[in-house]
Amino acid sequence: MDPIAKKSVIGGRVPKPDAPDKAVGRTRYINDMVLPQMLYGRILHADRPHARIVAIDTAEAAKLPGVHVVLTGKDMPRMLFGVNRDNRPLKGDKVRCIRDEIAAVAAESEEICDAALALIKVTYEDLPAVFDPAEAMRPGAPAVHDEKPDNLSLAYRFDHGDVAAAEAESDVVLDDVFDVHYVTHCCMGTSCAIADFDTDGKLTIYSQTQYPYNFKMDLAPALGMHPGDIRVIQPPVGGAFGSKLDVYPYEPVCVLLARAARRPVKLTFSREEEFINAPTRQPARIHLRTGAKADGTLTFRDVDCLLNNGAYTSWGPTTPYVMMRTFSSHYRVPVVRFHSQAVYTNNPYAGSFRGYGNVQATYATASHMDMLAERLGMDLLTLSLKNAQESGEVSPQGSVLADCAFAECLTVAAEKSGFLEKQARYAAARNTPGRIKRGIGLASSIHNAGGAKIHKSDGCGTIVKLDDYARCTVITGASEIGQGIDAVLCQVMAEELGIPMSDVTIVNNDSAIGPWDVGVHASRTTFIAGNGARRAAQKARAQILKAASHQANMPPEGLDLREGWVVLDHSGEPVVKLDRLLRQMHFQKDSELVMVTDYYEPPSEEERPGHVGDMSAAYSHAVHVAEVEVDTETGEVRVLKVTSAQDVGRIINEMGLEAQVEGGIVMGLGYALSEHLLIQDGRVRNPNFRDYKVFTAPEVPEMDLHFIESHSQTGPMGAKGIAELPTIVIAPAVANAVYNAIGIRFKAPPLTPEKVARAIWDRDHGAVAAE
Amino acid sequence: MSPQAKGTLDEYRAPATLAEAAEALADGKGTVLAGGTDLMLQAEAGKTPYRGRLVNIRRVAGLRGVTEDGGTIRIGALTTVTDLLNDPLVAEKAPVLAATADKFASSQIRNAATVGGNICNASPAGDMILPLLALDARVELASWRDGALATRTVALDGFFTGPGATVKGPEELLGAVLFETPPAGRTARFVKSGPRPALEIATVAAAIAMTVDGGTLRDVRLALGAVAPTPLRAKRTEALLEGETLDGDLIARAAETVAGEVNPIDDVRATAWYRKHLVTIYVRRLLQDDGKG
Repeated sequence: MDPIAKKSVIGGRVPKPDAPDKAVGRTRYINDMVLPQMLYGRILHADRPHARIVAIDTAEAAKLPGVHVVLTGKDMPRMLFGVNRDNRPLKGDKVRCIRDEIAAVAAESEEICDAALALIKVTYEDLPAVFDPAEAMRPGAPAVHDEKPDNLSLAYRFDHGDVAAAEAESDVVLDDVFDVHYVTHCCMGTSCAIADFDTDGKLTIYSQTQYPYNFKMDLAPALGMHPGDIRVIQPPVGGAFGSKLDVYPYEPVCVLLARAARRPVKLTFSREEEFINAPTRQPARIHLRTGAKADGTLTFRDVDCLLNNGAYTSWGPTTPYVMMRTFSSHYRVPVVRFHSQAVYTNNPYAGSFRGYGNVQATYATASHMDMLAERLGMDLLTLSLKNAQESGEVSPQGSVLADCAFAECLTVAAEKSGFLEKQARYAAARNTPGRIKRGIGLASSIHNAGGAKIHKSDGCGTIVKLDDYARCTVITGASEIGQGIDAVLCQVMAEELGIPMSDVTIVNNDSAIGPWDVGVHASRTTFIAGNGARRAAQKARAQILKAASHQANMPPEGLDLREGWVVLDHSGEPVVKLDRLLRQMHFQKDSELVMVTDYYEPPSEEERPGHVGDMSAAYSHAVHVAEVEVDTETGEVRVLKVTSAQDVGRIINEMGLEAQVEGGIVMGLGYALSEHLLIQDGRVRNPNFRDYKVFTAPEVPEMDLHFIESHSQTGPMGAKGIAELPTIVIAPAVANAVYNAIGIRFKAPPLTPEKVARAIWDRDHGAVAAE
Repeated sequence: MSPQAKGTLDEYRAPATLAEAAEALADGKGTVLAGGTDLMLQAEAGKTPYRGRLVNIRRVAGLRGVTEDGGTIRIGALTTVTDLLNDPLVAEKAPVLAATADKFASSQIRNAATVGGNICNASPAGDMILPLLALDARVELASWRDGALATRTVALDGFFTGPGATVKGPEELLGAVLFETPPAGRTARFVKSGPRPALEIATVAAAIAMTVDGGTLRDVRLALGAVAPTPLRAKRTEALLEGETLDGDLIARAAETVAGEVNPIDDVRATAWYRKHLVTIYVRRLLQDDGKG
């Protein structure tokens, strides 16, 4: 046999293993699933923002043929769940926002459920409501939760250095309020759960969750169950993006219906329900003051952040935890003061959403850098490079920026896009005739790229086994929610074990099988699960090579695994076929299976009191340059091109990487320009895709992507987490580009045609009262 | 949405001829199904409750297609928006309809949505209505009277009485829309707002038809969408333009006049201010041959 050369699959272009089935419509999503004997569940929502529930009459609904169960909050003990333990599956006493779950029905069909819901009579006594967080803080404002009369939900503070002293040393201080808006995830698969009990009272829940292990812990108190009695199965999902990182009331409601009906129950949201009742991104009013010296050196940031908590507390109000990292470490900032308050109102409430607070914070910091450059008469690239950290610097919160490629990202994005030349040219053309103006804008940010130790452990368990045919199964705690981890794990196995990627099966859909993992968030999965899988694969490799070394009478260090063979490392000469060796290991006298485990804990630390600690095992930067065309009459903004330079550590799957960056940019463009969940007096006014405008294919601009490989010392094969930065950085790049085009600064996205047209009109004609 | 609000369907009919369809609607208790793109959503939302009998007219012979006869173009009610996009007669004689079809929703919706349905849905923002108004179109309404098929013809200008409301009775079926073949030299254009090139409901839309005769404007028809409770003919602006020479001053006066002629509302899509702002921009663009938007 010919020698086999060493080949690497890292950095290649690997289609996602789940892609073909999705492309041809074979994937069985959770929304497609039907269990024998299954009933359907639906929820009666309050549809009013604040009221006492005086009475609920379910008698007529219960009599309807086909109805098995009707539940109300009055039927069950007060089982509290959620981040602040302020939520209940069904509300028994009071309505606090329009999405409140008042009653639920399980019936033979969704149509019967709807008919039954229409027969439920609820008597309400409406209460004065409050929708603005500043108003909700005033004395005498209606209390959303009777036991919290001040409406204060969560507060965060970070103080580093003396702001007054830093201000005294500053030559320039910018002082602006940025108001960032409600958007929602728009997952293609609407929220769905299927609950099924066995005769021992143990629960199996088919769920879209992106954190199956802690999900059990968070779901249990809403049910009065032991988390150990809950098994979570994760069928394929139609998107998550952070929306499935918490328990929401429809999940325990579905379980309670199944328990009462003694039948499996499936509960699925309609699209309208999804818009109204699924979590949003956290809106924020960010008062940012930035100080700098005349030479551009940043002196301080001083931030007050007010969050509309809505009626209950999911992850949204905890996003300041990440915002403060941005304010303290996006550029070298010696003095930082960050205070935030989340205040209860009668609005719907926010969860986590790709970027987790950093989308909001970066809109402010990246806008301010652009404003500062103009104020100082410097170009933005020079100002940015002056304040960009280098490898080894430590931020005020203790983020250690190892393997930092910020400056390179800035330089590459600016050079490839022709940023400086175009910015000057477009600014000069601003006041020349012509209704179409062009602009170019640059923005950057930093994000955790090696997990985030928000729990005692940020780890991931992996089990790797090889069968008698050298087929490999990876059982990992890491969930696949479309982000592409399965492809990465196949590559890691192929790389370490010298087998084809098609011989690897990933099992990660059952909490009874998989080992623990925190969940898909914080751009952590490739980094954490990738490291864990690599360590497990290396253990399997060592076991194999040890056995082979006995056979070949060679030290294991002299052997390698390539293309399904054990070979001599130096020459590539084949020694024994891998599957044959595995069978020999298995069926010999001292038989052994290749079956290894690993629990990987990243080298990060929990924050100490005061929010200091190196909470991620890696950090990364991205820089976007957006080029736009503005119709100065209609206000329409068209994005022509996006140039991106992102520190990815090292490319593992180039196709997956491109897809994440492109998808993230498109999602962020919607945030910048068109998406706005309009909530007025606590009601969602545009709960449909007609009036909630996601970006569509014809609007997607040309994208020029550059991947900077900084080779993280801690990442798997040098990789860093990459998934959130593209969504974080693009919106301020667009806003800065619009400023370059027309000279108007938008501090409250989205930059809709009307908002842009109105601002131009007001500037040119003097602000007039709306007719 | 409660099932009561959706109305109920007790009966289904799929007539094969116009006469059978008219008979099925004779008691005024039929809901007509054509493309279904508006009906199904609105019935689900309780906006157009079912009347008890679903009359699927999709099998009625002769209701689909574009023909020309004796100087009149006739578009059958079941002609889809995609048909308009691809029809050679439309491309030659009334290309503004193809241009409008190109801005209409998405491919999937265009494949199902019909011209008759878009007219009967009577949305103030109905795209296809505007160029037809500009072309002085009329509609044929069929009904079953005294045991026979009866037909009346109604001008499209005047057909609409409010959002979702028309002069068509519940017993009547819109069978076709007709207009005189535009003579050589007549121009017609359509412009529609919206940041998205696809799947956009108009914030404002406008269509114009006119003849420029040696620099003088003749027979100007200006139709506006989403600026009033019904699709609107801007007759004061038309009168201002009629017989005048097209120049910058006239365009400015037309923009000013049209702003005073529309009565838009604030809604979730736009404020009245922005709609008025867009109308003046679009009138200028339509007159300047810059309908690209």
